[in-house]
Amino acid sequence: MKKFKKAVATVIDSQTVYPAGLAVVLAIAAIVAQGGMTRGNKNQLTELFIMMSISVAWNLIGGFGGQFSLGHSIFVGIGGYATAILLTYFGWPLLATMAIAALISAALGVLIAFPLLRLRGPYLAVGSLGMTLAVYGWMINWDFTKASSSYQIPIEFSLSVDELYQYVVIFVLIAILASLFMVRSPMGLRMIALREDEAGAASLGVHRVRSLLPFWAVSGLITGMAGAFYALQQGTLTVDAAFNLKFSLDAAITSVIGGLGTVAGPIIGSIVVYYVRDFAADLANWALVIEAVIVVLVVRFFPRGIMGFLYKLRTMIEAWAHSED
Amino acid sequence: MGNLSADVIVQGILLGGLYATAALGLSLVFGVMKLINLAHGQFLVLGAYLTSLLVSAIGGDPFLSAIPVAILMAAIAYPMQRYIFSPVMSSGEEAPITATFGIGIAIQTLLLIFFSSNPRSIDAPYATSQLDIFGVHVRLTLLIATLIGVATVLVLTFVIKKTQFGRQVQAASFDPAAAGLVGINVKHTYASVMAISAASASIGGVLIALSFAIAPPEGTNWLLRAFTVIVIGGLGSLSGTLYGGFIVGLVETVGAEFIGPQYRDLVVFGVLVLILVIKPNGLFAKRVRK
Repeated sequence: MKKFKKAVATVIDSQTVYPAGLAVVLAIAAIVAQGGMTRGNKNQLTELFIMMSISVAWNLIGGFGGQFSLGHSIFVGIGGYATAILLTYFGWPLLATMAIAALISAALGVLIAFPLLRLRGPYLAVGSLGMTLAVYGWMINWDFTKASSSYQIPIEFSLSVDELYQYVVIFVLIAILASLFMVRSPMGLRMIALREDEAGAASLGVHRVRSLLPFWAVSGLITGMAGAFYALQQGTLTVDAAFNLKFSLDAAITSVIGGLGTVAGPIIGSIVVYYVRDFAADLANWALVIEAVIVVLVVRFFPRGIMGFLYKLRTMIEAWAHSED
Repeated sequence: MGNLSADVIVQGILLGGLYATAALGLSLVFGVMKLINLAHGQFLVLGAYLTSLLVSAIGGDPFLSAIPVAILMAAIAYPMQRYIFSPVMSSGEEAPITATFGIGIAIQTLLLIFFSSNPRSIDAPYATSQLDIFGVHVRLTLLIATLIGVATVLVLTFVIKKTQFGRQVQAASFDPAAAGLVGINVKHTYASVMAISAASASIGGVLIALSFAIAPPEGTNWLLRAFTVIVIGGLGSLSGTLYGGFIVGLVETVGAEFIGPQYRDLVVFGVLVLILVIKPNGLFAKRVRK
């Protein structure tokens, strides 16, 4: 109990309460504002929030943990397919089904973390990339996933555009709050310590795998849930779409652009990337070229992303404000 | 079900030579700079496309046309390393990985825009001819690919181990700061290594396009195959790349024979994950260095 009290005290301070309050206010605003939105707006924002939640989940281990995973598309695919399959075969209530799908993803997160956590740095990136392509190679040939055709979400379970939008807003809020509180908690501090100096942290008794597993579980949970929402929005699932490496890459790109290992980074990054894509959509394939060039330029000139740039700006302004005239 | 004939084994070994060539540049760059070049697959595809353009424009033998293309690829890759990748290598692992990925996407999309996603192969008079050696059927292109692969590995190993330039590369790889202190231009060395890597990738791409066909979206798949090869051979070891290539070629052909050709990817990438997990430094790794 004493330990728990201490943990609560660490988590509840101005570092977390203000950002958390801001997130709640923005989420309420997003729900209130839906009266003035068209169907198209809501669909777009739903897409954006799904992408954002995956980025937030990825950043939890990719940014704060320093484990550059390229395996998150597995969670999206499993979350989506679990939802579709459970609905088809059992017909349980939608939310219960999605919760089960997310739990399956969380369990999978722990399961793949065991082998992956033996790897570090670039090896982990390669190992998870291999895992993604191996799982894809399996799913695309498996009759159960109806790989040759597509999987339909039963029509009686599909949500209206409005409902889906509201659910997704609440979901992305929960994801952001979970990420915020987890990284500020003692557990999060241990993970950051491991990222910065593994030997040093280990000498103070921080167990690597044990400290990191909860983050893989939560990251898998959030990403799997995002996959379930993705399935609901699409209405049909194909292995090609749901297990696409694109999800992992998008999460990594948005986090890097926004600022790795910051709570706001993946949020800002996904908004920027989403609207750059939207803006350039008329240019067809050239849009992707432009996006790639932007990614390279941001990485080259702001390796710490937009958040890094903002911090730098703040330090400069502070230095200016405190300087003697 | 499958049948383990001499044909299958020979085919696997020859395929392995091709894979080794495709993986060589990736191995070199990782060995020297600890940089994972996610654009390597696209380098392979780009080399193949440029060569096929040259062949259809002026005719001639694909291997001769591959030489100017390799030089051009080196000229493209040098500034890439020097002005984009090298400067961000000091700020953690994520930035350079993301930068190479961005370049890869840019190359892939430009190829899609200009050449569509149709697979392209390079024609040569001998592209489909087969040899009979002691009753074993051998595809001539694969045999050539293997020979070129072995030759490239030998040449590169010689360059790295025995020449002045190679010693500079080793020094810059072992301790960049100290190498800089004794007068080695580390930035130039790194960029040259990337240039060599891209040149060898373009040769690998030509071999792929001669033996099969290559399409822009397949870059990532080839990248991962190349990875499997260098992970098995020991990351950064050039001779290991050759062994790794043969093992992957054999595993893939034998696996396809027994489990079914549609599971090729699953077999290869499954082996990749398994080896990474069991022996993270590769089967043939001699020394462990972080």
